[in-house]
Parts: sequence; structure tokens; C-alpha cells
Amino acid sequence: MIDISHVTVKYRLVKEKKRTIQEYVIRRLKGKRIHYEDFLALREINLKVHRGETLGIIGHNGAGKSTLLKVIARVIKPLKGEIIVRGSIAPLIELGAGFDPELTGRENIYLNASILGLSRKEIDKRFHKIVAFSELAEFIHSPLKSYSSGMVSRLGFSIATEVDPDILIIDEVLSVGDEHFKRKCDERILNFKKKGTTMLMVSHAMSDVTRLCDTVLWLDHGIVRRWGSPQTVTDEYLKS
Amino acid sequence: MVNSLEEAKEIFRYRELLRNLVARDIKVRYKRSFLGFVWVMLNPLLMMLVMNIIFSEVFKVTTKNYTAYLLSGIILWNFFAQGTSTAVISMVQNSNLIKKIYMPKAVFPLSVVLSATINFAFSLVPLSIIFFITGTEVSSHVYLLPLIFILVGLFSYGIALVLSTLTVFFHDTIYIYDVLLLAWMYATPIFYPDSIIPRKFAVILQFNPLYHFITIFRGALYMDVPSLAGSVFYGVLFSIASLVAGWLLYNRFKDRVVYYL
Repeated sequence: MIDISHVTVKYRLVKEKKRTIQEYVIRRLKGKRIHYEDFLALREINLKVHRGETLGIIGHNGAGKSTLLKVIARVIKPLKGEIIVRGSIAPLIELGAGFDPELTGRENIYLNASILGLSRKEIDKRFHKIVAFSELAEFIHSPLKSYSSGMVSRLGFSIATEVDPDILIIDEVLSVGDEHFKRKCDERILNFKKKGTTMLMVSHAMSDVTRLCDTVLWLDHGIVRRWGSPQTVTDEYLKS
Repeated sequence: MVNSLEEAKEIFRYRELLRNLVARDIKVRYKRSFLGFVWVMLNPLLMMLVMNIIFSEVFKVTTKNYTAYLLSGIILWNFFAQGTSTAVISMVQNSNLIKKIYMPKAVFPLSVVLSATINFAFSLVPLSIIFFITGTEVSSHVYLLPLIFILVGLFSYGIALVLSTLTVFFHDTIYIYDVLLLAWMYATPIFYPDSIIPRKFAVILQFNPLYHFITIFRGALYMDVPSLAGSVFYGVLFSIASLVAGWLLYNRFKDRVVYYL
């Protein structure tokens, strides 16, 4: 369950290039003020997502979609607003975050899963299922640098989805790999829906959005332009 | 305050990440080559040999057990210097992770300091070999050794927190710190005995935390140090002060870090 109100995110862009202690001290001594440009990535966002609901988030590039996901995932703290999130969160964002090419597949599973917040016991429990889903059993003790990019993505997807969170956040990565693996990914996503996992999905693929989502949010320049049923909102978005 | 406590709990919650980061660092460092492992041991030994020749033959320094004096100083200094200077870029280096996934950022400098602590432990092996070869007697205060691990570790972590956070906002922090470290190294009696410092400057030594740490280390190992209790007292003080200052600064700015990475 997610409940956010009045969330505003401000990015401060420093006009001058140099960000060094040297420059800072010189500037202060000269009495000059630093020029900022403030950019509001999100403005007064109010949003409620119920347990088990799949929310799709659409909008043009730069609309604030990733920023919204980051605020909910606790990566960014907003300038103002209240965020209430009940349940564990796992991001399907940066597959293979922290993967180190020198380490083996097994070592990378532990590293990546720990980045996602799992404890050693939790990883131990899930290890075999992760290896099984990724279909990489033979290579699991080889260093990651010997894997193809497809293999790396499969491993990343396996780990991220095996985490089994209450809330799954998906930033444009719905499936990876060849046709066969893509079908497995899709199956897994549908399984999450059946299980009652809450899902937030950023996507540019309207077909996926209408197929999988219960509600859709259209973000435009940091504000909520439309929020409602998938068909209605995507139709309006496509017409704009 | 509550915020700080929450953050400490978060670090504990992410202990598996910490463990994996440290394991990765150790593995990458020592897996690469057998020579890599040997080099880590060899480096301080070679430095000690060179300094020994320069200072005892050229500058005619006549400290008792000069070899042990040098090596213990070099190893302790490396623990602090390498730990903190590697930690400076620890957050910036992991910016791709920090920008996409939530984790308590303090784990990055912490993993660096923990790695440095483990490397310090390993380096005690060649140190003991040298002690055996030179016939240096181990002091009765050797029970203080674990304390050194804790004091220098905590002190380094405080500094690491300040530096790693500062670097996010000011990219030249590392260059400034490198120069600072150089001056700091000369202000610490690693190569020279503290007795050659003229009286009026001797007071400055008291303000150098590393002076106290090195004194405790040498006192714990072999040296007869009259002011050992005093150094322990100052050492504890500086460690706590550094940790508190670093922790407070980190917590104040940690939420802004992601905007500047």
C-alpha cells in the first residue's frame, strides 16, 4: 500500500561548472553569490495505490516518472510532502546493479541480493531458485566476465524477481533474453499479479500497460495529468 | 538524533552488503596474483629497509630497535592513510548504485575502513617475523593490540565519513586531502624519534591523534613508553570525537548526496 501526498521534488542545478572547494572559497571571499537554477521534477503529487494493485505510470521523457519511482523507493528524499509505504520494496530497475565481472555468478548473486537488502539467510534460501530460473547452473562458478550480455540480464532478472517483495517497482524492464526467456519473465510478472503483489510500472509500451495495469497515471512535466482506467488514460495520452 | 539512530540500524540491516563489499575487495586484491598477496606484505618491508638505511646510516639516527620502530610506524600509518584516502571516493565510485537503489550510503566508507583493518591484521605477520629476526622482545602491554584496531578503525571511519560525503559536493577534496596527508605524515614520528622534536614544538605532537595511536601501537608491541596511559586517554578521546563529528556530518548531508552524484 502506498500513500503519498503533496510530494514535491526539486533539483538544484548549479549554473557554474566548477564544484570545488577552491572555487567555493574564492567565490565566498569575493563576495559573489552562486547562481542556481531550480527545477521542479515533481509538483504536489498525490497518489494512492492499494495492495495488490498494478499501477502504470506513463508520460513523455523528462515528465518525472523515474523520479516518482525513486521517491517511493526511498532513493530520493523529496523537498516536501509525505510518503507512506507499507511493505517491502524491490526495484526491477538496474538489473545486475553492482555486478562485478571478476566475481563468479554465485558471488554476484550474493552481492546483488545484498544490495537489494536481503540478509545472508534469505539469500541462502533463494539461491537455488535463482540459479534454476536463470538457467545458468553450469556457469554459476565461472566469473561474470565470461558471461554473454544475455546471460547477465537473465541472472539480474532472476535475482530481482526472486526477492519476492510486497511492492515491485518496474522501470521499463519487463522482460529480457530470447523469446523463451521473455515468456518466462512474463509468466513471472503475471504470477506476481496473481499473488497479490503491488506493482508500479513505468513503461512506454501502451500494450503492456493496458494489458497488465489496473490503473494508469499520466505524468506530465511533474504533475498528474490524468489518473484512471488504463484504456481511457492511454487513449488520451496517445491522442495528445 | 533519532535520524542518526535509524541510520545506524539500517547499516546493521545491510550487514550482508557490507560483508560482500569487504569480501570483494579482499578477493580482488589477493586473487589476482600470488604476488599481489606477497606485495602487500613486501611493500612496508621494502620501505622500512630504505628508510632504515637513510636514517641510520645517512642521518645517523640512533633509536633503539630502529627496525622495529620504523616498521611498526609504517604499518600503522598505512592502515590510517590508505584506509581514509581510498574511502574519499567510495561514495562517488558507487554513484550508479546510489542513484538507482536505496541503501545506507555509510556502508561504502565503512567497507573501505574494514578492508584496511583486515589488511592491517595481515601485515602483523611480517611484522612478527621481523621482530623474531631482530630479536626484539614483545612488550608486556601486548594486550593493548586489540584496542589499536578499534581506535584507529573508529578514528579512520569518522574521517572517512567526512571525506566521502564532502567529495560528493566538492570534487577536489581528494587532492586537498592527499597534500594534507603528506604534511600529516611528516608531523608524525614514523621515521624519526619524537625526542628530536624541539621542546616548543613538542606540544603540537600532542594534538596529532596519529602520534598517540603510533605510541600506543609501539608501546603494545615492544617499546618502553612512559606516557602510555596518557596516549591511551588521548587516543580514545580523538577516536570518539572523530566518529561523532563524522557521523553527524554524514547524517546532515546524506539526503542531499543523491542530488549531486
